[in-house]
Amino acid sequence: MDVSSCLRGPSWMVGSKRMRMASNFRWLLSTLILLYLMKQVNSQKKGTPRDFKCKTQNLQVWNCSWKAPPGHDGVYKVCIENRPHSCYQSEKGNVKIPRLPPGDHEITINLSRGLGSSMSKFLLNEKNVYFTPETPEILTLSADFPTSTLHLKWNDKGSVYPHHSDVIWEIKILHKENTEIIKLITHNTTLTGKDTVHHWSWTSDLPLECATHYVGIRCYIDDRHFSGHKQWRSSDSQTKVFPQDKVIPVGSDITFCCVTQEKVLLAQIGQTNCPLIHLDGENVAIKIRNISVSANSGTNVVFTTDDNMFGTVIFAGYPPDIPQKLNCETYDLKEVICTWNPGRSTALVGPRNTSYTLFESFSGKYVRYKRAEVPTNESYQLFFQMLPDQEIYNFTLSALNPLGQSESTILVNITEKVHPHTPTSIKVKDINSTAVILTWHLPGNFAKIKLLCQVEIIKTDLVRELRNVTVKGVENSSYLIAVDKLKPYTRYTFRIRCSSDTFWKWSKWSNEKQYLTTEAIPSKGPDTWREWSSDGKNLIIYWKPLPIHEANGKILSYNVSCSSDEETQSLSEIPDPQHRAEIQLDKNDYIISVVAKNSAGSSPPSKIASMEIPNDDLKIEQAIGMGNGILLTWNYDPNMTCDYVIKWCNSSRSEPCLMDWKKVPSNSSETVIESDQFRPGVRYNFFLYGCKNQGYQLLRSIIGYIEELAPIVAPNFTVEDTSADSILVKWEDIPVEELRGFLRGYLFYFEKGERDTSKMRGLESGRSDIKVKNITDVSQKTLRIADLQGKTSYHLVLRAYTDGGMGPEKSMFVVTKENSVGLIIAILIPVAVAVLVGVVTSVLCYRKREWIKETFYPDIPNPENCKALQFQKSVCEGNSGLKTLEMNPCTPNNVEVLEARSIVPKIEDTEIISPIAEHPEDHLEAEPENHVVVSYCPPVIEEEIPNPGVDEAGGTSQVIYIDVQSMYQPQAKPEEEQENEPVGGAGYKPQMHLPVTSAVEDLAAEDDLDKTAGYRPQADVNTWHLVSPDSPRSTDSNSEIVSFGSPCSINSRQFLIPPRDEDSPKSNGGGWSFTNFFQNKPND
Amino acid sequence: MIQRLQRGRREGESMSCLLAPLCLLNLLLSPLSLGAPISPAEPISQAYSLALYMQRNTSTLLQTYLQYQGSPFSDPGFSAPELQLSSLPPAAISFKTWHALDDGERLGRAQGAFLALTQHLQLVGDDQSDLNPGSPILLAQLGAARLRAQGLLGNMATIMTALGLPIPPEEDTLGFVPFGASAFERKCRGYIVTREYGHWTDRAVRDLALLKAKYPG
Repeated sequence: MDVSSCLRGPSWMVGSKRMRMASNFRWLLSTLILLYLMKQVNSQKKGTPRDFKCKTQNLQVWNCSWKAPPGHDGVYKVCIENRPHSCYQSEKGNVKIPRLPPGDHEITINLSRGLGSSMSKFLLNEKNVYFTPETPEILTLSADFPTSTLHLKWNDKGSVYPHHSDVIWEIKILHKENTEIIKLITHNTTLTGKDTVHHWSWTSDLPLECATHYVGIRCYIDDRHFSGHKQWRSSDSQTKVFPQDKVIPVGSDITFCCVTQEKVLLAQIGQTNCPLIHLDGENVAIKIRNISVSANSGTNVVFTTDDNMFGTVIFAGYPPDIPQKLNCETYDLKEVICTWNPGRSTALVGPRNTSYTLFESFSGKYVRYKRAEVPTNESYQLFFQMLPDQEIYNFTLSALNPLGQSESTILVNITEKVHPHTPTSIKVKDINSTAVILTWHLPGNFAKIKLLCQVEIIKTDLVRELRNVTVKGVENSSYLIAVDKLKPYTRYTFRIRCSSDTFWKWSKWSNEKQYLTTEAIPSKGPDTWREWSSDGKNLIIYWKPLPIHEANGKILSYNVSCSSDEETQSLSEIPDPQHRAEIQLDKNDYIISVVAKNSAGSSPPSKIASMEIPNDDLKIEQAIGMGNGILLTWNYDPNMTCDYVIKWCNSSRSEPCLMDWKKVPSNSSETVIESDQFRPGVRYNFFLYGCKNQGYQLLRSIIGYIEELAPIVAPNFTVEDTSADSILVKWEDIPVEELRGFLRGYLFYFEKGERDTSKMRGLESGRSDIKVKNITDVSQKTLRIADLQGKTSYHLVLRAYTDGGMGPEKSMFVVTKENSVGLIIAILIPVAVAVLVGVVTSVLCYRKREWIKETFYPDIPNPENCKALQFQKSVCEGNSGLKTLEMNPCTPNNVEVLEARSIVPKIEDTEIISPIAEHPEDHLEAEPENHVVVSYCPPVIEEEIPNPGVDEAGGTSQVIYIDVQSMYQPQAKPEEEQENEPVGGAGYKPQMHLPVTSAVEDLAAEDDLDKTAGYRPQADVNTWHLVSPDSPRSTDSNSEIVSFGSPCSINSRQFLIPPRDEDSPKSNGGGWSFTNFFQNKPND
Repeated sequence: MIQRLQRGRREGESMSCLLAPLCLLNLLLSPLSLGAPISPAEPISQAYSLALYMQRNTSTLLQTYLQYQGSPFSDPGFSAPELQLSSLPPAAISFKTWHALDDGERLGRAQGAFLALTQHLQLVGDDQSDLNPGSPILLAQLGAARLRAQGLLGNMATIMTALGLPIPPEEDTLGFVPFGASAFERKCRGYIVTREYGHWTDRAVRDLALLKAKYPG
């Protein structure tokens, strides 16, 4: 099978010319001609030999020649003077003579011709002999086409030359037969007297297949004679592109040629087109400079002709990098594993990939690395079988690829480079309860070294311990060590790793192996306490389970025995979960001993005396803990010889009560009691016992809390007694469980209030109407609250508190009883007053009956007495007689409307008698601005005391509207302000006035009050300068007399609904009663 | 030796694989089952299905192959129809000649071609493990193509048996392989083999379609 890459012609020739291999090269030695020419002065002018000269090709024989005289044939006789047998005959013009020693020699040449002869004489010296070496002969010229290398071989014919001499060879390489020298080099050798074959190689840039190459060689002495030529032709091949499949370094230059009969159109490498270099015929070449790295499958170079393509693949890569991180170690002292990193990628794969050879120089052995299909940058490794009795290894790792080779070396003492495998098959066996035997398997032959192994021991509680062990290496891979100082009945986890004792690397940790050590007898007896039962007949013995480090195994049962001088009672085989035994004893002095048993045996007994030594001087103390424990201290007592015991109990439990106990050595005087069972807010009893002469004496009794909390209930309280002004309250104790701390007192709150209205407002808000009593005497159980108002509802609240806080509150409403004396007075006084008024009225009416009758019920009514018809009487009389209801022409008046709303409303009825201008300045300032002139037909009411500010012409008058917004009188104003502006605040005045602020009344006001007792004019006339706008009409605008007192003239206003006052009796909610006059306001 | 095929580069076909591999397995195994069916319809139908399935993957194989050979093979639109292998019969045939073939000739030529293709695909796989050792995808596709070609061969043998045609003896079509072939020659012959595999699969689909019409089930 072949790729038919040529389309025309069934066969194909590579070269356009046949290579001519015929050799016509010759050795050409330069001739040393020693020409000694001594023409005799009187030599024959014609007919004598002349131009005598000698040359040599091999330095042994001199070839001398001369020019014969023309036309003279004969025999020459050449003689060397002064030398025997040194005449030579010759018929031609030359003669060969042996080499003559240095120096001048006289040569005579006699030409014998018929009858006569002629003779010539010459001087010959070696210096004048020419030496031309023989033409060199090329033995072989071969071509290595894949590498484009020519190999030249020739013989120097050194045996011809008598002595050693240096030779300079010049070699030239030509294309196109003697026309184009592409290479000319010189090559130096030495003649050794023997025939020697010389070699010379040359690598062509252009593949050799691309063109005919010629090689010439000559040697130089002083002649430039050329030797022969040699020619070759390339071998037949079907590929037409050269070179094929070449591997070259990245960055190098390379020439490709295509030998073809067709015209090449295009040459490209990869995707790049290249300029064509034309060679012989249609042959072309391309030159690639600085070639870049190839892909795995190489870089394609393709020549395209009209209808075909030819190509080759070039692999540009890198020579192998120096192997890095070469490291040799052994797992088992049987074979050495060497690892390395290949370094930079070569970009060459498959058959071109780097091959590695690991060579050990001492043994001369080597191993080869089988090429990886895919080059990786990961670690490579090679195994080298170790040799017996060899510890030092000198490894050389050679990396080789088509582009070159590199190597790195390492010298190792392999016994120091032991990196054992992971230990396997870990097994544990007991020796006893505190020691085990550990065995494992470690593959390898370590008989020559010691192993350093590390045992990791992890106890149940995750305490980690490492122990280093050195073991002697063995051949069969099994190892055994004892591990001691273990705890009985403890679960251990073992694992092992090993190294050599000349540490290099640890192996990986082996798998873990768990093991439970065997049991041992308990190291101590259980902690024991005893209590007498409440009836005093039985002794209850308590003991605590042994902690695991003292139990040394699983406790199966306990034995309890009570022994006195007389008898011994014992209870045996009490199973483990039971930690209490009861024995009926008479009150003798017994020694109780408790023994714990596990499968390994019995513990030493723990003993305790049953006797209790009475203590008369016993007080109950209080103690408070620290949240998690409670600190108990006591005085050191030298009499206490054994130990102290603190037992405690929840105080709410009945006797005998025992939660737990704690033993404290006899030399200590304090301890902190801690227990998971302690809860905050629970009262515990603590009993401190001292051990004295094998009996225990109660030293102290303490009640305490681990942490105090607030009570969870309020004290239950009742009202024992109420009177008109006091209440007696009584309450009960809070149970201890609900108190949750030491009671520090009570807080009693009371306030006026009823169940519906004053619903439990915050008591702590500091309201002033709540009264608080703090009862710190916790033994007090009653409280009398005095100074209360009668028949008033009170809200009572009681709460208890501890140091932990306030408890909840309990409240109650109580109504005090009525005050009967006050009630009687309250009834009697109004009745008496009413009677008295009635009597006085009756008397007055009786005595003035005539006037009354005349006035109110006359027999003939007098119209003049009719107030209704008396309208503006005085006006009518004063001005125009009886012109009642006469309407004057309407004269427009100016009415000023004062819009001082923020000021005027303050003017209220109380100001009538204490006219106060609140803001006189404001008023004055506002006046000119706020006067609004209104065309108005006024009811003309003129003041008697004219105001200078009012027009006297009477055509206009000013009216000020005063908007009364608020009916409430603010606080009384200081007197100074009244004086400043006596008339400023005047305006509308109600008729009646209650003397609220009597202290500030002035005399004028009093006068007015006196005059107007009963019905009262609307205002202090003197202060008025404005008319009321409420009078719709005026009969006479010019009238100077203003009539007051007539309902027709003045429209008076009274506010019939009085303002609500917080202080009014209504606020008591109980309706008006006389008792209100007698009771204090709550704020009092 | 000089063979020219005026045939354009195959255009990309649908690469979707609609048949499940199990189906393929079934098709491959069926010729091996004992008791060959008397009617040729079933083996023709099976062979036709397999050929259709192969047809969907030939383009992928060719593209994958070229992609790993570097430029100019991997250039888009690469085509070198002038490259031929003397050991591989070309699939191109004039329509008239093709139509005039009788069943035995038709199946015999396809049989011969796929026999040659299986051997050539093996050779190309070996070549590529030297040139592209780090390309498991390409090597796997070449292996799969060879397996399918073998499967089709088996199917065709079954058809020929069913039709009572003589099965041509298996012969070594490769002959003496020039093991010293240059990398470029290997790349070229791989290209020719994968290309011709596609051509022959196309032709087999038409062959079998014709037979299917002739021997309806």
